[in-house]
Amino acid sequence: MFRSINVTSRIFERQIRTPAPGTSVHCARRFYENIVPSFTVYDIECPDHSFRKFTDDGQYLISFSRNHQDLIVYRPMWLSFSCKEEDCCRHDLPPKAKRFESFFTQLYSVTLASCNELICKDFFLSMEGNQFGLFATSTAQIHDAPTTGRAIQGVPFIEKITFHLLRLEDGVVLDEKVFHNDFINLAHNMGVFLYDDLLAIVSLRYQTIHILQVRDLGNLVDVRTIGSFCREDDELFLISNSQSLATSERSRLNPFPGNQVGNGHNQVNQDDSFLSGIKQRLLSFIFQGMWNEETDQAMRVQSLKKKFFFHFQDYVDLIIWKVQFLDRHHLLIKFGSVDGGVSRNVDHHPAFFAVYNMETTEVVAFYQNSAEELYFLFEKFCDHFHATSRNSLHMNFISSHSNNVYALEQLRSIKNKGGSFSQFVKKMMASLPFGCQSQSPSPYFDQSLFRYDEKLISATDRHRQSTDHPIKFISRRPPYTLKFKIKPGPEAGTIDGRTKRISSFLFHPFLPLALSIQQTLFLQPSVVNIHFRR
Amino acid sequence: MGSMLGDWPSFDPHNFSQLRPSDPSNPSFDPSFNEEMATKLTPATYRPTHSRTLPPPDQVITTEAKNILMRNFYQRAEDKLRPKRAASEHLIPEHGCKQLRASTSN
Repeated sequence: MFRSINVTSRIFERQIRTPAPGTSVHCARRFYENIVPSFTVYDIECPDHSFRKFTDDGQYLISFSRNHQDLIVYRPMWLSFSCKEEDCCRHDLPPKAKRFESFFTQLYSVTLASCNELICKDFFLSMEGNQFGLFATSTAQIHDAPTTGRAIQGVPFIEKITFHLLRLEDGVVLDEKVFHNDFINLAHNMGVFLYDDLLAIVSLRYQTIHILQVRDLGNLVDVRTIGSFCREDDELFLISNSQSLATSERSRLNPFPGNQVGNGHNQVNQDDSFLSGIKQRLLSFIFQGMWNEETDQAMRVQSLKKKFFFHFQDYVDLIIWKVQFLDRHHLLIKFGSVDGGVSRNVDHHPAFFAVYNMETTEVVAFYQNSAEELYFLFEKFCDHFHATSRNSLHMNFISSHSNNVYALEQLRSIKNKGGSFSQFVKKMMASLPFGCQSQSPSPYFDQSLFRYDEKLISATDRHRQSTDHPIKFISRRPPYTLKFKIKPGPEAGTIDGRTKRISSFLFHPFLPLALSIQQTLFLQPSVVNIHFRR
Repeated sequence: MGSMLGDWPSFDPHNFSQLRPSDPSNPSFDPSFNEEMATKLTPATYRPTHSRTLPPPDQVITTEAKNILMRNFYQRAEDKLRPKRAASEHLIPEHGCKQLRASTSN
């Protein structure tokens, strides 16, 4: 829509032209090409906290104290000062511009973790509509856990995990949800997914998905529990029937004291006799699919023997790794082996995806992570995998290969790079299910506005290897010039090139303001730079 | 009477061929332009001129609750779970009496 890159002429053009239908947000975003965070204040004096994230409405900056026990929330502000002299642009900024307090005001500090607990500093979920924040504290992880009841072996154990629901405005804790003797993967929000007001928490140890609802007044309410049982009355049905079964079993077994072939297995241990509800749904879906593939009876049995019964134990041993919502009724569940459940690098372990309808308790789809069919759906409808709630409109504009031509080109170039297609598919599928709120909505990451090196910086908030060279943001449209640079770390660069440094970047959702934090791995204080538009 | 678009030039000669005046029983032709043809043709769309009654259910546009991804999953699930019938089974009439399906016999 805009014919020139000059901001003034763009403003005049905006007065007389309307954007093409459906592109008003994209046109408004083009002004971000003119207003960029080009000025950097290096190594700003700031409190030694670990800064986590800006909330998606841009009202709060969430940070945790170094000892991981307190939550400190800041309000981002804009620097303002006046200059009476004539040539203001050439002047250096006043000294107060180089202070953290000029950009951020502390709102409050709340102690979330008690003595032996620590706040998980990688965990934070926000609910935009009512400005709630969800935080997690936990006690230490124990690796050799005793197995009790339905707990699976090989998964570590945390004595107490608490989720705190906080009102961000004033830091009041509204509700808490505690899990005892459990294990939930908290790093980078992996084991939890928030969609609208529904929260899905995956208990790896007990293989259960807890669905909770966050009410308007701030209560966390249990909605359902999926795992051993799928429907609310399953447990009741089993208990009422097990009593009558137990008596009839006893009377049946007595006449045949020496028969060991018998019924296959005796119902000695009630827990082990039934597979969990979700596993049963999954196995029956797989069975039905294979059953219907062949029409000839003999072929059918052969096919089942080869594909289903041969792998039966492998299917039974699958555990739930990760879960995300696809919409209010459907979950995308990733299954895998016990070894891969806790480790970060899951490339070598086979993984499976299932789509589960919570209302009908049916499995709708089941794919292995190398399935081309699933990849084609992912390629065409990636945005639908990023389940965005109704309330947050800006989340719909985060660049993905389904809504952005440049991102799609990048994907295609990786696809055509060589190597086997199934390896490529597995690599792509490793990103599913998507982590909740893991991408920044900042327009500076919009691929149609700027080109930048995705390995050094991207919308996904992850720690990355830090380089001394500044990260360049080049405009996508002619004249393809460099618009701004983000350089983490001190201005002169670090002298010691051998220590490994990692950087993380926090971009404000709509202001031209960003923080870059560079840390070494030896608990030295981090170097924080502020990038803003001067 | 000449059809509105039937004689206009177009890339593909088959375009607008159904609107030729030689085909008066074409139901897609809009009768409001020609009163004489209205009696022979039935309008394809329902245009309400009052709001006293509800429109027929198939004429109301609603948003599908399931998004396109879910629709794809369900479509593939249906294709997978629909039992395929062998050629011989198609000869058996499916109405009236119930037939024992080959799948349940063992």
